[in-house]
Amino acid sequence: MTTKQIVSTCVYCGAGCQILFTVDTEANRILEATGSEGHSNDGTLCLKGRYGWDFLNDPQILTKRLTSPLLRKNGRQSDLTPVSWDEAVNFVSQRLTDIKKTHGPDSILCTGSARGPGNEANYVMQKFVRACLGTNNVDHCARICHAASVAGLLVSLGSGAMSLSVPEIEEAEVIFNIGYNGPDSHPIVARRIVRARQKGAYIICADPRRTETARIAHKHLQLKGGSNLALANSLAHVIIAENLGDQAFIKDHTKGFDELKKLVQKYTPEYAARITGLNPDEIRATARIYAASKHSVILWGMGVCQFSQGVEVVKALANLGLLTGNFGRRATGVGPVRGQNNVQGACDMGALPNYYPGYQSVTDPAARAKFEAAWGVPLPDKVGLTLTRVPEFVLHPPDKSKQIRAYWIFGEDPAQSDAYLAEMRETLEKLELVIVQDIYMNKTAQYADVILPSTSWGEHDGVYSACDRAFQRIRKLIEPPAGVLTDWEIISRVSTAMGYPMKYRNTEEIWNELINLCPSFKGATYEKLEKLGHIQWPCRSADLSDVGTPFLHRDGNFATKDGKGVFSCAEWQPPVEVENAEYPLTLSTVREVGHYSVRTMTGNCRTLRNLEDEPGWVQMNPKLCNQLGVYHGQLVKISSKRGWCITRCLPTDRVKPDAVYMTYQWWIGACNELTIGSLDPISNTPEYKYCACRVEKIDNQAWAEKYVQNEYQTIRRNMAVTFDRKGGGKAA
Amino acid sequence: MNGYVQGDPLLCIGCRTCMIACVVAHEGKRIFEIDADGYDFHPKLKVIKTWSVSVPVQCKHCENPACQSVCRSEAISRVNGAVIVDREKCIGCKSCAQACPFGAIQMVPLGFETNPDGSRKSVANKCDLCQGLDDGPACQKVCPTAALYFVEQDDIRTILANKRTATVISCLAQ
Repeated sequence: MTTKQIVSTCVYCGAGCQILFTVDTEANRILEATGSEGHSNDGTLCLKGRYGWDFLNDPQILTKRLTSPLLRKNGRQSDLTPVSWDEAVNFVSQRLTDIKKTHGPDSILCTGSARGPGNEANYVMQKFVRACLGTNNVDHCARICHAASVAGLLVSLGSGAMSLSVPEIEEAEVIFNIGYNGPDSHPIVARRIVRARQKGAYIICADPRRTETARIAHKHLQLKGGSNLALANSLAHVIIAENLGDQAFIKDHTKGFDELKKLVQKYTPEYAARITGLNPDEIRATARIYAASKHSVILWGMGVCQFSQGVEVVKALANLGLLTGNFGRRATGVGPVRGQNNVQGACDMGALPNYYPGYQSVTDPAARAKFEAAWGVPLPDKVGLTLTRVPEFVLHPPDKSKQIRAYWIFGEDPAQSDAYLAEMRETLEKLELVIVQDIYMNKTAQYADVILPSTSWGEHDGVYSACDRAFQRIRKLIEPPAGVLTDWEIISRVSTAMGYPMKYRNTEEIWNELINLCPSFKGATYEKLEKLGHIQWPCRSADLSDVGTPFLHRDGNFATKDGKGVFSCAEWQPPVEVENAEYPLTLSTVREVGHYSVRTMTGNCRTLRNLEDEPGWVQMNPKLCNQLGVYHGQLVKISSKRGWCITRCLPTDRVKPDAVYMTYQWWIGACNELTIGSLDPISNTPEYKYCACRVEKIDNQAWAEKYVQNEYQTIRRNMAVTFDRKGGGKAA
Repeated sequence: MNGYVQGDPLLCIGCRTCMIACVVAHEGKRIFEIDADGYDFHPKLKVIKTWSVSVPVQCKHCENPACQSVCRSEAISRVNGAVIVDREKCIGCKSCAQACPFGAIQMVPLGFETNPDGSRKSVANKCDLCQGLDDGPACQKVCPTAALYFVEQDDIRTILANKRTATVISCLAQ
């Protein structure tokens, strides 16, 4: 056996852990993964990092690896049949050209991918969309997660990313977690919170659930779901009313204080208490503790962003940092901790309808001129469509000429991950052309006209951006299966066939092209990444002395045009769909630590599957369980106005009696059958965290168990799994 | 004195990396290559989550083990500072699982052996401190927050010494 050792970046979550892989080069197999000394992980790994790689061996537990382009030759009703790459590329380019000619470039929307492909592939995709198709209709799953953070922080601070690095969390004195449960979403970031606590930091957690973060916190504010803005505004109220702010910082580095003061006037702790259900004194105490340190950090996640008021809450949290001068030094600031491994990168690369790579606006004539010169074609000046509005623009377009007709879905699975799945399925059915580019068969691929199989993480090179703006290399560990191409090669071939030639020899060539177009990435060359391991942007000079920027806004100089932080605020509004007689409970979607995203990867990892498997769980308060007469492990039916699914009951006093929680990884217990498609007006992020639902007991458990087993087998059949395993449908 | 692995609930984040590590340590790395249902997944420790605590529960390797004293088939013994079950000798009577004051023993089907009626044969499954593995218990090695530690004679002495000091201080404070 010949073995080699290679370090690469983990493909799960934005922590960006460095993993040392031992690979059997003859067998083309990974043998082992252990922690390497990365800047965020310090040699440690969580269960996904350590045991989440055997999907590369294609065990066909949930789905089958794609190894040949597939095409429905005789329309939607016909079967997907293997075709050559030439035929697939011809089909895609021909259909896209036709649709563009007939309906205009804005009738096509393509996604970037925040998962395996890497920054280079995202750059190539958005370049294809803008330069070859001639539209800004490119977006990716940041839209359904941290789009609110990007939009909100750009207004408040001029930069939408974490202002500090992961290791700095450990040096903070106060950590205010709101709508953020690191132990489930980023265990290796949570490790820093745990270590900060050991070093004496005060930990606050605002969450409706008794999460692991809440449990290790000194103060748990168990607020009512959907009341974040009332809490954040009230904290600002207390800081202003009790004169706890940093007056010099407010005067020198911010603007809009008077407007803020006026708006939060009415958010007394007593007023906020009525909305949040918290004790007014707890709100006061939190504000005082937060304001007392110059090393206070606010961390948030989906519990802030996946609400109709996500952007406003993000701004309200930035307000707290601006009021207290908690910016511009080590171990202070704000941390919207990005979920997927490369969701920061897909944003960095401009897989967004309003930005070119490096957050250069498509409406800025100077930026546009620069990209036009580089890419050699005129570029559209209108902001593109966000992907969460695809259902609307397919099913009920505001006018016929604006209808979306073609959707190129690259490394995403909207038929599993997007809110209100019934509507998404209707959308996919109605689209004239659905192109799926992925490593596995998935739920969306069932609706595809053509499937383009690509290399997986572990089979290609590239760069990911971690949640704290750290560029890190991913490296090829094993050879890909015959028949697949790298993502950037696939897109380049289609682009070339459509008359806009793109030819790259490797990812470094793509990387060099893009960093030269982005002043804040310019210094982060492959050569330097090799030497330094990680580089946090901005990194403007290729000189070795520019090692990047661990924290942003040094000395209170913000990234806004005039360098000032902007106070910006809004009134709290209740969630869109509240509890009622028919649907008396609220449903919020949360994370399962051992599974990732839509589960095509971790669902095909043996031990992760053993730990948690279909149909997943619904977390219910024991009181609610008693009331319904259901107990641990029983199958229950859960429904909303939009759909239903069957899952297992998990009684836990960590949730309140009026709220239930499900994780979105499950294909049978698919909570997105229930979730609502209402969007934040600015970020267009759906309100995954709040809708009305009902849980029902199933009397015939034997039937329900059979149903789950049959569903699992059906899913596996639909996912083209070829051999019959004994298991499947058996919950862990 | 027998040592044992203990978790600190203020460090544990409930991620269960330890549970997988336990299985990989006992089943071997081959499990990543073989049929996905061709191995046993029965961690010998289990993470328990309550309102105030998340931490794995596993065998304390008692000095006078209740499990050993109730075992009728001499399947439980003390070897190299650990209380271990001999799966071959175990008759699956479940007495040890009931006798264990900590709930640290589970009855699980191991090794794909079957009973005469075709059902899987269940045996007692518990922590063996990774007997035979080079550098100690696997759960402890992989814990990302270093929440698991191996308690030995000296640690017990320190814990007791600290408690006595705390007692004195609290008495003086009154």
